[in-house]
Amino acid sequence: MNHLPIVVICTSLIGAFASPVLGKGRPWLPGILARIIVPANAVLLGILLAHVGDVGVFHYFVGGWAPPWGIALNVDYLSLYMAMAIHVISTIILVFARGDLGHEVRLDGHRWYYTLFLLLVAAMTALAFSNDFFNIFVFTEVATIAACALIAIKAYRECVEASFKYLILSTVGSGFILLALALLYMVTGHFNLSLVAGEMAAAAEAYPMNIMVALVLLIVGFGVKSAMFPLHVWLPDAHSSAPSPSSAILSGLVVKIYAVVLIRVILTVFGRGVLSTAPIAEMLLLLSSAAIIGGSLFALAQRDIKRLLAYSTVAQIGYIYLGISLLSESGTMGGLVHIFNHALMKTLLFLAAGAMIHQTGLRDITKLSGIAKKMPITMGVFSIGALSMVGIPGFNGFISKMYLATGAFEAGKPAFIIVILLSSLLNGLYYLPIVVRAFLGAPDEGEVFTRDRIPLSMTIPLVALGLACIYFGLIPGPLLELVRRAAEHLILL
Amino acid sequence: MNIIQGLVDNYFYFASIVIFLIGMHIMLTHSNMIKKIMGMNIMETAIFLFVVSIGYVDGGSAPIVIEGQTIRFINPLPSALILTGLVVGVSLTAFALSLVIELYKCYGTTDSDEIMAIRRREQ
Amino acid sequence: MNDFVLQTVTQILMPFIQVYGIFVVLNGHLSPGGGFAGGTILGASIILYALTVDVKAAEGIYPDERAEMVESASVLVFVLLGLISLMMGRNFLTNIGIFPSPETGTLLTGGFIMPVTLAIGAKVASTVITLFTHLFEEKKS
Repeated sequence: MNHLPIVVICTSLIGAFASPVLGKGRPWLPGILARIIVPANAVLLGILLAHVGDVGVFHYFVGGWAPPWGIALNVDYLSLYMAMAIHVISTIILVFARGDLGHEVRLDGHRWYYTLFLLLVAAMTALAFSNDFFNIFVFTEVATIAACALIAIKAYRECVEASFKYLILSTVGSGFILLALALLYMVTGHFNLSLVAGEMAAAAEAYPMNIMVALVLLIVGFGVKSAMFPLHVWLPDAHSSAPSPSSAILSGLVVKIYAVVLIRVILTVFGRGVLSTAPIAEMLLLLSSAAIIGGSLFALAQRDIKRLLAYSTVAQIGYIYLGISLLSESGTMGGLVHIFNHALMKTLLFLAAGAMIHQTGLRDITKLSGIAKKMPITMGVFSIGALSMVGIPGFNGFISKMYLATGAFEAGKPAFIIVILLSSLLNGLYYLPIVVRAFLGAPDEGEVFTRDRIPLSMTIPLVALGLACIYFGLIPGPLLELVRRAAEHLILL
Repeated sequence: MNIIQGLVDNYFYFASIVIFLIGMHIMLTHSNMIKKIMGMNIMETAIFLFVVSIGYVDGGSAPIVIEGQTIRFINPLPSALILTGLVVGVSLTAFALSLVIELYKCYGTTDSDEIMAIRRREQ
Repeated sequence: MNDFVLQTVTQILMPFIQVYGIFVVLNGHLSPGGGFAGGTILGASIILYALTVDVKAAEGIYPDERAEMVESASVLVFVLLGLISLMMGRNFLTNIGIFPSPETGTLLTGGFIMPVTLAIGAKVASTVITLFTHLFEEKKS
């Protein structure tokens, strides 16, 4: 039972590297392999969650070597929550990819697509579990390269350009991260997160400069990768030009795993002691408010539907950072629960947009009027996602916003409730016109929708995501229980 | 004076930070994409230098154990980790270069400003 | 590059470079070097051949299909070796206690370190060659 986290990571890796060989001449095989491995791993993680519920959180030592010598995996509720989110959302995206991928990637590229996808899933899972700084660095790089390649695989020049931009900025970010790790190693002598945390108080006393610089470098480094507001410039290009399944996983999961790693490092390694010596949390609060407002304003100005969704992601990342940096229990819960809720919503929206582009070839939101008459299911679930984004009660977006607002009250910073309300209004301003126009607008005379129905493998994931958005909006209990445990672990330290 | 003395004593840290900044400056300001990749490599090398110099012990030798001899060793951990860092750097560089080749095929230039100009003209 | 001296010297040197590369890979657990260093040396020998004699011929020595096989297989070898200890009920990648115990200076010891180094060497050599031939080819077209 204790071995399950490593089994999950290894099966994804094996699948990733078996795909190019197995898929030679059989382009359909890697897809089936991926669609078996990822859901199976989701089930294994469920078993692991039940096991952790019985025996409590534990550390897993790779090679049987306890730290300081060996690499440790941290099996706690936060990592389990993230790993579950990664595998559940990836499963849905993989099912969708079956119908959509042939449309966007050449057939001989399919086996490489699944290689990269599984590699990305493995790297993200490892990032969620990792309790070792250098491991975090290595898997950050693996995830970055896999993510860049997932964008560039659609051999259009916009994609290659976006991928290059993403790669260069990510590399600056990784440089910062590695430098920060070196600075921490210099004063603490460890790479293991728990051991560094143990040395932190003494090190902060003796070498305050090192610790501060390392903290700032880590925030900027992971901030670039998770598109924290002023560092988000790569995101709109990258997420809007990629193939739709890639956009969904990049926007829904990849940016968040870096946010989670950063949160884990800040709260468990540096801890309240270091945070109280400098206004780090206040700065994060301001930046995330800027992200929420700025991202929404940018989204308002977009006409390309995928670009609009990409800018909306910038704003939603702001929610996650806002919740965490409030440093109150409800706020942290709100930030964490928004990771999963936003992954559901944004995956739904990107996949629905992908289905519309697949069907009509149109990306301009002004030309999509009346599309609901042609694609009622797709547009119906798109509306669910949009309403959820706005935060209408009964949808899952409302739950995270409610917890964020409560957290702002608890932390004694009610000003941020205004930010949340304002951004809900802005969300409404750019999402609802699309919905209204699609349902009430008359289809343009010139538009001929040649293909009638999208394949079943695209409809099922969309409907499942739509139902999940409503389900977690009406019955958030079990999810919130898991998130509460994850948040308690973060806040107590 | 303390600061200057500190810089002189830790000149390798100082040098690696200077190289790091040079690399980052090249990466973010030059429009030629090949130069950007070079800047990326310079930046990474600076970090490697920094990490390796953390593990350096005055008068220490490479940590190869020979039976019957006890000498001062440098700390092998940072060097070993940098080997991994090198591999990561190689793969990033290779990937970036292949992207540049792909862009060169599409636009006939490796300059990102020119690419922007071409795209603006096309719109 | 049609230089007789260069080509002859390369062809004479190649086996020695490769033997040295294999030596570095095999002694990875005993001395400095190992999979990455040795693999690069092995790859460099083919790159030298491609540069001085002929890229097409070098690709003939090491075609893409084989590269795909080698690269996938070497990663799988690493992961599966790690999983062996899982079958025995120990933690992932456990070496001591499952494989023969290490002994300083003896080649066939160190448990799974040597097979892993071999796999890394194969992977690195293959990657270096593939990267070179691909980037080189693209430039010409």
